Amino acid sequence: MANIELLILITLSLGLLSYVLYHFSPRLSSALTILGSFFVFGSVLYHGYIGSFDVSSTLLPYVSFSSSALSIFFAVIITFTYAMVSLFNPYFLKTHKAGNVHNLLFLSTLAFVLGVLFTNHFMTMFFFFEAVVWTSLFMIPLKGSKSAAIMYYRFSAFGSFALLGAIFLLKANSGTFLITESLAVVDGAHQLVIFILLVVAGMAKLGAFPFHIWLPEVLGKAPDHTSALFSGGLEKLGAFIIVFALVRVAPVGATFAAIDLAWSRYAVAILGALTIVFGTLMAIRQDDAKKLLAYSSMSNGGYMLVAFSLMNSISVMGGLYHVLAHALASVAAFLAIAAVARQTNTTKMSELGGMIHKMPITYMVYLIAIISMAGIPPMGGFISKWLIFQAVINKGLIFVAVAVFFGSVGSFLYVFRPLAALFLGQELPQYKKTLKEAPSLMLLAMLILSVLNIFTGVFPTPILKVINTVIVEMGMNEVVLTTFTIEGFNGLLHPGLIALVFMVGVFVAFVIFISLKKSKKVGLMDTYTAGNFIYTEELMHYSVDFYAPLERLYEKYIDIARNVYRSLDHKIKEFARLIKYFIFTYKPEITAFWVVLILILFLWGDIA
Amino acid sequence: MNSTRFTERNKEEIDRKWWEIGDYFRRNSLWMLMYCTGCCAIELPPAMTSVYDMERLGMGPMATPRQADVLLVTGYLSLKTLRRLIYTYEQMSEPKYVVGFGSCTINGGIYHDSHAVINRLDQYIPVDVYVAGCMPNTESVMNGFVDLMDLMKSKKADGWKRYHTNYEWYRENQIAALGEVKVHDEFHE
Amino acid sequence: MIISLLIGLGVALGGFTFQTALGGVNRKIVARLQKRVGPRWYQEFIDIFKLLSKRSVSHGWIFDFGVIMALGGIIGTAMFMPVTSNILAFPSFDNFFIFVYLLAVGMLGMAMSASGSGNPLASIGVMRALTTMVAYEIPFMIVVLTIIKLAGTSSVSGIAEFQQMAGNNWFMIALPLGFVVAVLSLMGMLGKKPFETYIAPAEIASGPMVEYGGKQLGMLFIMHEITVFIEVSLFVHLFLGGAENIWMFAIKYFLVYAGLNLVSNVNGRFKIDQVVVFFYKWPLAMAVVQAIIAIYLGWVI
Repeated sequence: MANIELLILITLSLGLLSYVLYHFSPRLSSALTILGSFFVFGSVLYHGYIGSFDVSSTLLPYVSFSSSALSIFFAVIITFTYAMVSLFNPYFLKTHKAGNVHNLLFLSTLAFVLGVLFTNHFMTMFFFFEAVVWTSLFMIPLKGSKSAAIMYYRFSAFGSFALLGAIFLLKANSGTFLITESLAVVDGAHQLVIFILLVVAGMAKLGAFPFHIWLPEVLGKAPDHTSALFSGGLEKLGAFIIVFALVRVAPVGATFAAIDLAWSRYAVAILGALTIVFGTLMAIRQDDAKKLLAYSSMSNGGYMLVAFSLMNSISVMGGLYHVLAHALASVAAFLAIAAVARQTNTTKMSELGGMIHKMPITYMVYLIAIISMAGIPPMGGFISKWLIFQAVINKGLIFVAVAVFFGSVGSFLYVFRPLAALFLGQELPQYKKTLKEAPSLMLLAMLILSVLNIFTGVFPTPILKVINTVIVEMGMNEVVLTTFTIEGFNGLLHPGLIALVFMVGVFVAFVIFISLKKSKKVGLMDTYTAGNFIYTEELMHYSVDFYAPLERLYEKYIDIARNVYRSLDHKIKEFARLIKYFIFTYKPEITAFWVVLILILFLWGDIA
Repeated sequence: MNSTRFTERNKEEIDRKWWEIGDYFRRNSLWMLMYCTGCCAIELPPAMTSVYDMERLGMGPMATPRQADVLLVTGYLSLKTLRRLIYTYEQMSEPKYVVGFGSCTINGGIYHDSHAVINRLDQYIPVDVYVAGCMPNTESVMNGFVDLMDLMKSKKADGWKRYHTNYEWYRENQIAALGEVKVHDEFHE
Repeated sequence: MIISLLIGLGVALGGFTFQTALGGVNRKIVARLQKRVGPRWYQEFIDIFKLLSKRSVSHGWIFDFGVIMALGGIIGTAMFMPVTSNILAFPSFDNFFIFVYLLAVGMLGMAMSASGSGNPLASIGVMRALTTMVAYEIPFMIVVLTIIKLAGTSSVSGIAEFQQMAGNNWFMIALPLGFVVAVLSLMGMLGKKPFETYIAPAEIASGPMVEYGGKQLGMLFIMHEITVFIEVSLFVHLFLGGAENIWMFAIKYFLVYAGLNLVSNVNGRFKIDQVVVFFYKWPLAMAVVQAIIAIYLGWVI
């Protein structure tokens, strides 16, 4: 489907159809959702790749589209996430409170996301943005938690207002709502305000510090497979806005001579660094596997902020590639956890253990995902982190580098925790009988993701070439690529070679292993206990407070951000009560008096 | 053609050759698991440290039975510790050796008439070397280790094989001494 | 390509042999320090081959798979290692970050396998190892950032050649604060005495290695030796100006390794939270100060 407008409309109507169908056959409705998602993904991938999008708009009033390499790049990632998550839909509808609306919401968010990415008009984008928020909002409480949805709405509304403010200022500045035209001529007094508003809008959507509170709440409490959607799909819209603010708007403010970077960008980089550190520290101490991955999403969002704020082709390439690599890795990890949670009804690591013995494929999927997430070769995350490191080192950003390295090593800690506590360790007796490997559709989604995780790490240059076109489109020099190698500021990277050498190493190790005497198989409970006899699996399973010694060092300080928001909340409520007390009293004449007075005050200048 | 074929007999021959090479490594790198049940354990620190320095024989202490090659039973064994000793011995990876210290492991020593202490360790797990004395002095401990190495060289240290072949007999003795445990709970064992 | 791979495997094998022999020599040195005779210099070889000849136990496929992945990852990392400027399997691809992160594959494999054994002590050991890693890695990376920024290349052999050029000092002298930080970090990396909390034989029964015996333990020993080889040679290349020929390399390597051993043998053991606090206090501050001095102010000796 080459026409974007038709694509959006068809997706919306498929959503409505799936809602109707659900009442006849939930299975058919899910099948329709899967077909719809794959259809959208296929269209975006195919037409994006050969560049044959039809942007004309005839049916919807006031709406116009354009297609750019950037929007196609994001659209492919997000629609792919939708397609993968849609394969999980059929197995989760029954656990929802209102399963009938899920498919409708799922497909309509998909349609609106396409609108956000492909429109060329700021007001239309704002409309679609709000539509995404409103539809995705109702997907969160389907598992039963309303508070998370409210929190999501608050922060999204904050981001939306910031975006709206930026749009109006841009309009005042350039006289047009068209995105490319108005962003190109940002200057003068409004420049800083527009920059800040756009960055705030993007960070609120990305869940970056200091707007990170909603992310773990939503991702932790949303339905198990929907979390993957938020992490891999909707959160990436924030990165899309950030690219507007940091790459397409010219640098604001004076330049630091030592690091050759405008201070406004340096401030964003520092915020990104703080996001990385706080996300990592919080992820380390979570007991809920989904919340842990949510904080890891936050920390990875920080990498994107750092990358985009540095403003050179290597860093932007690193940032964009990180969007892709993190989407693939986090969706795979979330889906693996969802596959476990579907059978055990919990994602708490202290209640799980030894899942690997019954779900080996899910385990391997999770393993590959976390290797990518921790930035270890030969997976995709390594390439993006390497590029970001190159940019950070080249600029000599020491304090950002501390955070970037800390986040990178810290990610080993937190991604390993679910691996050790949830998948490995003792096989708990309550899951020994009932647990089964995930059903085939879910396995299909997870295996596709794993293959891509490996592919992006072993042979990234085709994708990097696509990113090069995005970079050139944004007016920067392209990064030097050959068939296999990437050239950074201070070195060459050959991802395929690393994978090959690693395989050779594993082969040698395997030969050593296999040529030696065969081992005797023993059970998991036959372990060293200093001679004691223990028959209770839970006693032999180390999963509660995994990093307790490390957590003790900072657990006093973890609630600061939350408390700030809570007291802000109180202050706003207090202020609202004050207004209510004075203005909205039981006597209507007083209310009318205040309204007239305020109107006069507002219109003072115009009347006089 | 016939000569290059890999016959059964040939294979045994090769296995034996490998075993002999392995034996050299094994007897020159004895890692101990010290099961310090009784007073003879006091002889081990001097054997390890500067005065006698057992590291020159390639010996050293290890933390768990999985890693260790030789189990040192230093002294008397009450019924409660015997159960744990057997558990530990069975967790060790083969080939494994046992050294019994002091007269307590040989015939009960001064505890020979105690109701709670076993008299002959040999009835429950195979012992390769005894170091006699109450308690043995450090020279004889070191001598015991050298004896174990000599036994390994002459293939007489085959306790772990005997444990396989006579497993029923050992098991019977173990159950006779310890009784069968009905309740699987850490407080009852 | 095949020849490069063979050279790489040769480096891994040579590194293993060299480090294992040196490990035995160092045991001898430590024994002399304690007025003992000490083992034979080839004792470490005997230990490893003995372990490989034993019949071990296995706790399921992940237990074995993790060991293979650990050894494989480490062999792969060692294959990238430059020994001298000429003995280098993959010229211009010996990026510093490959060593740091490919090493992590091996660590991950070992951690996975240890947790897969089902022993809680192994999980605790892994937890401590990872916590130690997050402690020592950050100061070290900041120092290396300074080095890469100054040398203009992240290729390890390139950094070594940069130091060999006329007019440039070794980074040991050029960055004195950074050198101290790197020595401390190296002790953490090698698990030497104040930072060997994750092994702690008397407390958590040798931590990650608690369930291993026989060939799995033997392979982990090989892995450990190659890891030490990688880390110490990385240090030699980054701070001691690399090596023009193989003998210089061996001498520098021996001095670094033996020196660290001597220092570690007069130390006690930190608790795990003390390790973290230690590294985040002075070494991190020194690393940052060194980076500011060298990058922003340009004061390099």
